[in-house]
This record gives sequence, C-alpha cells and structure tokens, in this order.
Amino acid sequence: MAAEAGIACAGLHKAFGEVEAVRDFSAHFASAQTTALVGPSGCGKSTLLRLIAGLDMPDRGTVAIDGQPPERLRERGAISVAFQDPSLLPWLTAARNVALARKLARQPADPALVARLLQMVGLGQFAQSRPATLSGGMRQRAAIARALVTGPGVLLLDEPFGAVDELTRRQLAQDLPPLWHEMGATTLLVTHSVSEAVLLSDRVLVLSPRPAQIVADIDVPLPHPRSPALPDTPAFHRIEAQIRAALSHALDAA
Amino acid sequence: MADAVIGTLILLALWQGLAFALQDRFLIAGPAQVLGWSIANAGLIGRALVVTGSNAALGFLAGNLAAIGLAALALVVPRLIPMISGLALVVFCLPMVATGPILRVMMGPGNGPQIVLAALAVYYTTLIPLLAGLRAAPASWLDLIHVYGRGRWAELRHIRLRAALPYLAAGLQIAAPAAFLGAMVGEFTGAERGMGVLTIRFTRALDIPAIWSLAAIAALVAIAAYALIGGIARRILHEPPPVILAPPPGGPTQRGWMQALAVLIAVLALWWAGMRLAGLSPFFAKRPSDVLAALAWAPDAAQTRGTLATALAQTARHVLPGYCAGLALGAGLAVLLGLVPRLSAVLTPLAVALRSIPIVTTAPLIVLLAGRGAAGTVLLVAVMVFFPTFVACQHGLRQAPGRILDVFDSYAASRLRKLIHVGIPAMLPALFAAARISVPAAVLAVTVVEWLATGGGIGGLMSLSASVSDYDMLWSAVVLVTLMSWLGHAVISAAERRVLATHAPEQVRP
Ligand SMILES: Nc1ncnc2c1ncn2[C@@H]1O[C@H](COP(=O)(O)OP(=O)(O)OP(=O)(O)O)[C@@H](O)[C@H]1O
Ligand SMILES: [Mg+2]
Repeated sequence: MAAEAGIACAGLHKAFGEVEAVRDFSAHFASAQTTALVGPSGCGKSTLLRLIAGLDMPDRGTVAIDGQPPERLRERGAISVAFQDPSLLPWLTAARNVALARKLARQPADPALVARLLQMVGLGQFAQSRPATLSGGMRQRAAIARALVTGPGVLLLDEPFGAVDELTRRQLAQDLPPLWHEMGATTLLVTHSVSEAVLLSDRVLVLSPRPAQIVADIDVPLPHPRSPALPDTPAFHRIEAQIRAALSHALDAA
Repeated sequence: MADAVIGTLILLALWQGLAFALQDRFLIAGPAQVLGWSIANAGLIGRALVVTGSNAALGFLAGNLAAIGLAALALVVPRLIPMISGLALVVFCLPMVATGPILRVMMGPGNGPQIVLAALAVYYTTLIPLLAGLRAAPASWLDLIHVYGRGRWAELRHIRLRAALPYLAAGLQIAAPAAFLGAMVGEFTGAERGMGVLTIRFTRALDIPAIWSLAAIAALVAIAAYALIGGIARRILHEPPPVILAPPPGGPTQRGWMQALAVLIAVLALWWAGMRLAGLSPFFAKRPSDVLAALAWAPDAAQTRGTLATALAQTARHVLPGYCAGLALGAGLAVLLGLVPRLSAVLTPLAVALRSIPIVTTAPLIVLLAGRGAAGTVLLVAVMVFFPTFVACQHGLRQAPGRILDVFDSYAASRLRKLIHVGIPAMLPALFAAARISVPAAVLAVTVVEWLATGGGIGGLMSLSASVSDYDMLWSAVVLVTLMSWLGHAVISAAERRVLATHAPEQVRP
C-alpha cells in the first residue's frame, strides 16, 4: 500500500460481545481537513475514534495514518484525543493538566503556550483551579486545550462542546479551528449539533444507527475562516438541510 | 467542627451524669475524677505512654512498610495478587491473644512482641486499600497515557501512584489507633512497662478511677493519632478521602477454590519453613505436623478435640450474637440518622472519633459495667463491630449518587422513599465491607475479654494453655480460630458477591 497522506480506515469491524458497534467502516480522511461525524446516540462514534487512535484494536480491518499504524504516531505524541468525558486528573490544576500532555508526548514544557490556550478557551482566570471546582463545560474546555497543546497531527474531538453553553460554543467555534488549521491537524469531530458540524468542518459524514456505517458523505465547500454570520446564509442552510434529511432517512431505515 | 464540639460535650455530660447517678455502686469514674487521677499520676502515665507509643510507632512503621512492599510486589507481578491478599488475610486472622504469648516465648523479654503485634495489627488495613487504590484509576485516565504512546511506567508514575495516595492515607489513618492497640495487647503478654501493663495491674486491683483513666487516655491518644494523620492527608491531598470498599476476593468458582488451596499450601509451607529456618525449639515452636498429630492421632487427641470444641462453642455463643447485634445496630443507626440529618451532623464526627478508640483496651470497663457473664462479652463484641459498621454505612449512604437523588427530588419524594430506593442500595457495599473486616475484629474482641476478664471460651483456653506451657493445645487453638475467622470472612464474601452483583455491579470487578 502506498503511503497515503491522511487517515485511511479499511473495513473496520468492532463488536463488544454480542453488540456490534462498527461494521465494515471504510473511509479516507484527507490530511489537514476537518471532518465532522454525526449520527444517533450509541451508534459507535466514540468507538470509531478509539479505533482510529489505536486505543482499541479492531476485530477486523486496518487503520493507517500517513501509511503508518496509529501506534507509530502515538509514540511520537502526534495524536491528541479530547474524550467525551473530559477525564482531567483531579489532583492537578487546569494548567498542569494541560501541561501534562506535553510531558507525556515528550515535548519540552511551554508555559506560555499553555497560558495562551487556556486564555483562548476562556479559562485564563481558572488556570490554577482544580477540576472539582470547574463546571462541566469548563472541564471540557480544559480538555480541548490539553488536546491542542501538543500541536498534534491528528486531532480527535469527541463531542468537545457537549456541555458548553450556546454563546461560548459559538465563540469556541470561531477561535479554535484557526488553531488546528495552523497546526495542519487532520481533525475528526464528533458532534450532535448539525449546525456545529457545518460551521466547523470541511466535510460531514452521517452515520447510521448502530452498527455505524456511512449513510451520507457531504462536502462543506465554505471558505475559511468562517464568519459569525455564516449560519444565516442560504448556502449554510442548504447543507444543514441536506444533513438533516440524511439523518432522518437513516433513522427511518433502521 | 462546631457540631463535633457539641457532640463531644454531650458525650462528656452523659458520662458525668451516669457517673453521678451510679456513684454509690463504684463502677464509673466520671470525667472530673478521670482528670483528677490523670493529673495526680501524670508521671506514671507519661512514662507508660512513651513506652507504648514508641513500640506502636515502630510497629506502625514496620507494618506499613511491609504493606507498601507487598503492594509494590503486587504491582510488579499482578498474578501474585490473590496469593498476597490470601496470605495477608490468614495472618490477619491469627488471634493476637495467642500469637502474643507465642511471640513472647520466641522473642523473650523486651519490646519484640509488642512491636510485632502492632505491625500485625496495621499491615492488613493498609495493604487492602492500597491494592484497591493502585487499581482504582478510571480507564479514561489511562487512555490519556496511551494516547501519547506511553506504557505502564508512565501509568504508574503519572496516575496510579498518585491515585493510590488517598487510599494509603485512609489506610494509615485506621492503622494509627490499631498500632496502639497491638502494642497494648503485646504488653498484656508479660511486658514490664507500658499502658497495657498498667491496665492489667489496675484491673486486678479493681482500681476504678485508674481503669477509666487509662481507657480514656488510650482513647484520646488513638483519636489524636487518627485526627493527625487525617489532617496531614487533607493538607497534602486535594481530593476527598475515598470510601474504602475493597472488592471481595475471588469467588467460589473453580479458580476461587484453587486459589484458596494454593494459599493454604503456602501457609503450611511458610509456617514449616519459618520454624525450621529460625531453628526454634519444637517444644514451643510447633510445626503443622505437630498440630495435626495433637488433633488427630496423639494418645490424648480425642480429649484435646473435646476441650477445643467446648471452648469454641462457648465463644461462639458470645461472638455470634455480639457480631450480629453490632452490624444491625451500626447499619440501623446509620439509616435512622439518614432520616434526621441534623442529628447526624452532631453524632457522626463523634462516631468517627470513637471508632478509632482501641475498644479492646476498654474491655475491663465493659466487664465492670456488664459483669463477667455473657452480657459483658457480647456487649464488647457488639461495640467493636458497631463503630466501623456505623461509619462505613454512613459513608455509603452519602455515596448515593447526587444525580439520582435529584431525580427523586424532582418528584418531591419523601426522605424515606429516597432512603429505600437510593440510599440503602448505595449503602450495601459499605455494609458488606464492614461485615467482612469485622470478623477478625470480633474474634479479637471476644478472645481478649475472655483472656483478660472472664477466663472462659477459646480465649480463656489459650491463656490457660500459654500459662501452663501446653503448646500443642495453644497452637491447635490458633489454627482453629484462624480457620474459623477465615471461613467467616469467606462466607460473607460469598454473600457479598451475590448481593452486589445485583445491587452494585460496578463494585464487583472481574
Ligand atoms: N467498552 C465497551 N464495552 C461494551 N460495549 C461498548 C463499549 N464501548 C461501547 N460499547 C457499545 O458500543 C455501542 C457504541 O458505543 P459508542 O460509545 O461508540 O457510541 P457513540 O456513538 O459514541 O454514542 P454517544 O453519541 O451517545 O456518545 C454502544 O451500544 C455501546 O453500548
Ligand atoms: Mg460517544
């Protein structure tokens, strides 16, 4: 197989006992692109991200990132995941939680970057707070900062804004994508919000109910950086409607 | 804090009131009298405290280092965990009342037995939480390590060691009073100085103010040690202490039985090899074969068996009702206070403090109050079981998940309803954990009272055998008592697994 840039999933299968979470999933994610995965709850999105990160092994099929198995990239600290549950270490402050990722990825400490990212996710005031004193949304934002601090080549975001309020969510949707574009990260974003999917990504994959299969592959040919006014444009609405239709079609078929 | 002060004042007032009411029966010395006696005998007590305290501290150090070492071994070779916790449990089930005198003849005069008993009293309660703590990290924290391609070392360094610290702290906190208790029991075996020696002396003399003062001071020291370690832990750690719910050991599966058998063989081998290597005289350092012979084919085997059976039956009549009453009262009071939160705020700090009292050292008091008959012994066992059960159950009740309670609140459910549907299921794991760990504690309590005060049952038999150097009988009694404790523990673990499988499946790890 020629070393292909980006993430190549070929025939992925994953079952937990009787429960089949992913069935025959094949897709290619182009380098430095952002792809949103939308699909009904429990359809296997998180499982898919874990397979791509190499945290779980597929029962069948392969994942190749720039032609290499995920382990190789993980060893270089080139993958970051913002998990659905923020999983911050309770004994570390927000800043130290973020800094820990650089240590684990064997990168030199960079307090200035840590501070800048925390500022950017709106936690500038809370750098020295421990997770127990942060709200659910604040913890998620800290987890996003942690995912970004290593400047990863592959960025996997599992419902990163799930517990964040609408206003902050819009702000983050403005501020964060330029960051991961600048890093040239190949980004996969799981979300339940159709408009967020359109706003943040270059491409949207609509998944069927469990086991996850692609039911629609929709391009988002809107220019970057995306303006706050974008959600009010006809082009945006058209793509949104397309995704909604695919989603309800998938649900009806099940 | 204010609630704790109120609770303490209430307790002191009750104590003083009781002393006043019963003053012509010469049973109770009130707080004022205790204070007076303690000041008058400050020098005597001070010297005894230094002796017992330093032995307890050495034992505390040794026992906890051993626990940490064993936990480290378990971490490096996870396959050894069932063997390590199995052996640890057997050693924890050894009745101190008999191991004390045996250690005394092996080690001679001096502080050896006190220190060893203190170490034996603490290592188990540190080891078990530590083993749980080292495994307690949620999978998502470990995923974080794996995402960056790091392995077991990074897991250990960044997550597991730190995550285990609160568990270690909780273990050490319980260990502090236990070490003091172990050292005192060690002194009962014929030491020359220390709090245990004074306790025995004044009990024989029926010196009421002295007995009450010694018990009060031992309690104060234990509570202070408990509070001190808790305070240090709170300063260093930033998360609340964990509930210590060690999952029950392996089930009555094929593998469970194999493991039990392996542990049994290891115990026998270690016992035999230990006696051989130490080169101890077979006169008092019996081997497994000696005990088997004494029970099975020695000329007087039938008589030995009969004596042991009678003694065990008598002890069982005290320990079973006491144990059940302690469990029921502990769980019952916890549930009751769950319905009256205000009362709970006052009583809980008090109960936490009282739990750390080395109850056994108050044995003479309880016998004074309840007499030498069954009542006193049953009461002491009940008290010994009551406090840990109460504290654990309260903790368990408070573990009821806030979100679920919110759901009930949204339907304006009554307190009773919430208790039945949320609180009690959340409490069950704690109740079982307490019931398990209380088995050896109840045996310790009953044997100490029999030894120190009533002279009956298996504790009395062990003390008699020790004093007449009937080591065959003594070792046989040790083996039987250990076996009984171990079986009791196993029975409760089995029940626990069945109940938890339906009520708290997340607590039963594969
Ligand atoms: N470790 C596991 N063990 C057993 N079953 C699992 C495990 N992880 C996931 N599953 C099952 O796989 C299916 C897909 O789960 P997954 O978490 O991938 O869904 P999801 O699409 O991320 O859902 P959501 O949008 O609610 O987060 C579910 O039915 C789930 O029960
Ligand atoms: Mg998910």
